[in-house]
Amino acid sequence: MIYLPVDSLDVRHNFALEYYLMTEKRPSEPVLMLWSTTPTVMLGKYQTAENELNRPFIAAHHIAAVRRLSGGGTIYSDQGGCQFTLITPNDNNAIDFSSGLNLIMQALNRIGIKAQMDSRNDLVVDGRKVSGSAQYLTTGYRLHHGSLLFNANLDWMAQALKIDPVKQRAKHIQSVHQRTVNLIEQQPTWTAATFKEQLTQALITITHAKTSQLTAAEETHLQQIATDKFNESAVWTANTRQFDYVHKSYLTGIGVVCVAFNLDKQQRFTALKLTGDFFSNLDLQHFEHALLGQVHQETVVAPIITRELQQAPIKGLQPQQLTALLF
Amino acid sequence: MIKEVHMPKLSPKSDQYFFGKWDKQPGDSVKTGDVLFEVETEKAISQVESQEDGTLKAQKVATGDTTKVGDLVATIEVA
Repeated sequence: MIYLPVDSLDVRHNFALEYYLMTEKRPSEPVLMLWSTTPTVMLGKYQTAENELNRPFIAAHHIAAVRRLSGGGTIYSDQGGCQFTLITPNDNNAIDFSSGLNLIMQALNRIGIKAQMDSRNDLVVDGRKVSGSAQYLTTGYRLHHGSLLFNANLDWMAQALKIDPVKQRAKHIQSVHQRTVNLIEQQPTWTAATFKEQLTQALITITHAKTSQLTAAEETHLQQIATDKFNESAVWTANTRQFDYVHKSYLTGIGVVCVAFNLDKQQRFTALKLTGDFFSNLDLQHFEHALLGQVHQETVVAPIITRELQQAPIKGLQPQQLTALLF
Repeated sequence: MIKEVHMPKLSPKSDQYFFGKWDKQPGDSVKTGDVLFEVETEKAISQVESQEDGTLKAQKVATGDTTKVGDLVATIEVA
């Protein structure tokens, strides 16, 4: 095992480091990292920020917001907590929380903290949650990310993750909220920095990990990954919204016509739905599939729509009207 | 020939997955080992690879859908 010291408190740098290791460096043995952050909220990959975060509080207190690569719920972290990352070569693409959690549990036990694993793959002390975990599996690698609370600001945590039940919606992953507790209750004479040092030493002793460092060039490269992959705008953009574009119009003599669609980076249709109260024998699935994969350009779309409506017209609707609705 | 892609079992604990996103679009050529899509279950994001060489014909599920092990998720046209 390799132990990689992480000094940065910038969550985007540290997520970029994880991403770099998994997708570019591709180590041949497991890599372990322990790190902390400035006050930060981390959303699960398929969560909707407006359902999980108290945005005014986060803005007023300059709390960083970022979206993880891994699944699960939203967490709050600060310098009173400690994040651990375990990246393991994984040929069979299997979800496995037990190996990472057993390692952390052993290390915690070694420094006098009696933690146990519960059914949600959380670590608990006396039934109260002290650590949550999530994973991201790519071809050949498993990333296990966990968060330990030592002396985190639980008041800020409660306020930043305040949930408005009115905003709860389907089609996203919702957080499961449990009673949390700081580990300082177990070791009241320690600071968060002492806890991190003690945990690091325990983990190195258990795993016999060799310490390694990134090169200056690799560190520079991480800044670009952080900007590209972990920018704040990705947090507030819903990752689970079914359609990015919804164009709707009431056309006299025809009725309501609505096209909803998504485009990829090459401006190709990746999803499309045509709905409305119009009269037609048009096979909607056939129509939608005719456009999927095509480039969102009028010269490309217009002939397809003309051909489809020649086969099955929508009563009173000219192909140009439907084409116009897509732009 | 059309080959069906069914949701594989990814977790020992759960047969129900949240469909995340497509990495391939209808009309894209796919090779064995290419990532087709990703799903979430038990706080883990898993990528699912193609077992075929061919062209992605149709996507049968979308982001946010709940899928179960064995569900038809896509079709691939193979030579």
